[in-house]
Amino acid sequence: MIDWLAAHAPTLKHWLILSSALFAIGLYGVLARKNAISVLMSIEIMLNSAVFNLIVFNRYIAPKGADGQVFALFVIAVAAAEVVVGLAIFVTLFNRRKTLDVTQVAAMKD
Amino acid sequence: MAMLPEFILLSLAFVILLGDLFLPKTTMRQWGALLALLGLVGALGSLLLLPQDATLLGGRFVMDQITWWFKLVFLVAGLLVVGFSADLLSGRIQDQKMVLDSAAEFLAVILFTLSGMLYLVSSRDMVTLYVSLELATIPLFVLTAWSKRDELSEEAGMKYLISGALASCFMIYGLSLIYGVTGVMELTQLDAEYATHPLVWVGLAMVTAGVGFKVTLVPFHMWAADVYQGAPTLVTAFLSVASKTAGVGVLFHLYIRVFIELIPDWSPVLAIAAFVTMTLGNLVAIVQENVKRFMAFSSISQAGYILMGFLGPTQEGVVAILFYLLVYAVSNLTVFGVIILYSSSTRRENISEYRGLSRTHPGLALIMMLGLFSLAGIPPLSGFTGKFFLFSAAAKAGYYWLVVAAAVNSTVSLYYYLRIVRQMYIEAPDGSEVRVQMSWMPRMALGLALIGTILLGVVPVF
Repeated sequence: MIDWLAAHAPTLKHWLILSSALFAIGLYGVLARKNAISVLMSIEIMLNSAVFNLIVFNRYIAPKGADGQVFALFVIAVAAAEVVVGLAIFVTLFNRRKTLDVTQVAAMKD
Repeated sequence: MAMLPEFILLSLAFVILLGDLFLPKTTMRQWGALLALLGLVGALGSLLLLPQDATLLGGRFVMDQITWWFKLVFLVAGLLVVGFSADLLSGRIQDQKMVLDSAAEFLAVILFTLSGMLYLVSSRDMVTLYVSLELATIPLFVLTAWSKRDELSEEAGMKYLISGALASCFMIYGLSLIYGVTGVMELTQLDAEYATHPLVWVGLAMVTAGVGFKVTLVPFHMWAADVYQGAPTLVTAFLSVASKTAGVGVLFHLYIRVFIELIPDWSPVLAIAAFVTMTLGNLVAIVQENVKRFMAFSSISQAGYILMGFLGPTQEGVVAILFYLLVYAVSNLTVFGVIILYSSSTRRENISEYRGLSRTHPGLALIMMLGLFSLAGIPPLSGFTGKFFLFSAAAKAGYYWLVVAAAVNSTVSLYYYLRIVRQMYIEAPDGSEVRVQMSWMPRMALGLALIGTILLGVVPVF
């Protein structure tokens, strides 16, 4: 079993397929989900696919340095800040309108 | 020492925050704007006095003449916006519903986003670029949703946040692809041999999409109208100038500093993007009724003009972009200054409500007319000179069809800018008593913006 797994270890190509699948799933979620919090979660999935990319490229393309991993940490930290601001805005929005459905929030029309 | 302007802004932001914590409640309401203004003048002074060439942190923070000019534009925009904010923060306006709450926090957040923009144009590797871009963007989400009394402001904040976060996802994914091909984070070390790699092209396209959101290039402009309309007018003014300049700064990094070899290949795409952006912005602006929405589409079309400067990798293109950014900042803030002062006293935001402004407030109407004419590009105002440089850069690159299209677009834009001038000068006032009050700080900011708008067109800078 161990030998079989070692012989079929995933390569860079497989990891990239996984990360682009994650990106596509996140993008679909942003476009299709109606609840604002689900949209924010989908955005997090997209960010994580980029983080994933950075770590994988660090491992396979530039294994000498740790640039990709450091960048990944920064992305995670900044994403946390983004979510904090997002949730704060959603809370004020929910207090007034009692809904977080993004299709209902359309007071401004052409 | 080269980081002194950023340090001044950041420490000032903390001084204002802590001052609000320990001093009586009304102190920062009254004096915060003045303090921020003095700090911005200090940052501007240090920028003018410091040497224009410096490298810090092992080449990750670089100061050169182009960076210097970008910082000048940011600081001028910040200075004018803080000047306009004085009455809105201190509550010395007629309509108490327009007063912005939490004056100290508001100023601190503006200073944070300004420092992010200053770091952005100096950064020379991907991590610094990304972090400073987010430092410039995330506070803008907060500022957009600032007005708790106004439900449009919350809605605008939500829309801006979701589309902004989506744009930054595209940008970071594109950066990760470029890193995957080259294996280096320093933008200065990306080799020309990678420039033709297909993955670099995909990455660059994704980064352009992410930054195109900030610059409001069509098709990434969808958020602009709603966000500009819903945000507090002061924030709209800041967004339309500073945020756009930051986006142009990133595009400048990518296309002129790093992947200059790609410009001949990419320029047809950029030319089409410029054409679509200016045309759509202009055509949609014609039918707008709300003046902030109107300015949103006007600024979209201005982004199209700015993009023309990227077409030729020549010296002229760079100079044209830089010059037009400053021209756009002062002209747009001249117009927005009048919009801010008028709406903060009367809460009027429709174009038809500007009727008869030349009878009730001749000075304001004249200033607004000059600002609008500069945006439309009428000589001898600065907008004409700026557009002239941009058009000649595109012509030198051989894009004559684009120059013709841009000239036609300028004519179209004159039509809708004149719509406001017609309301102000030809229509009679509706008879209701309106009094626009302002203290010396907004007066001074408006005067400075107007002087800039006129002088940059008359005095040759280059």
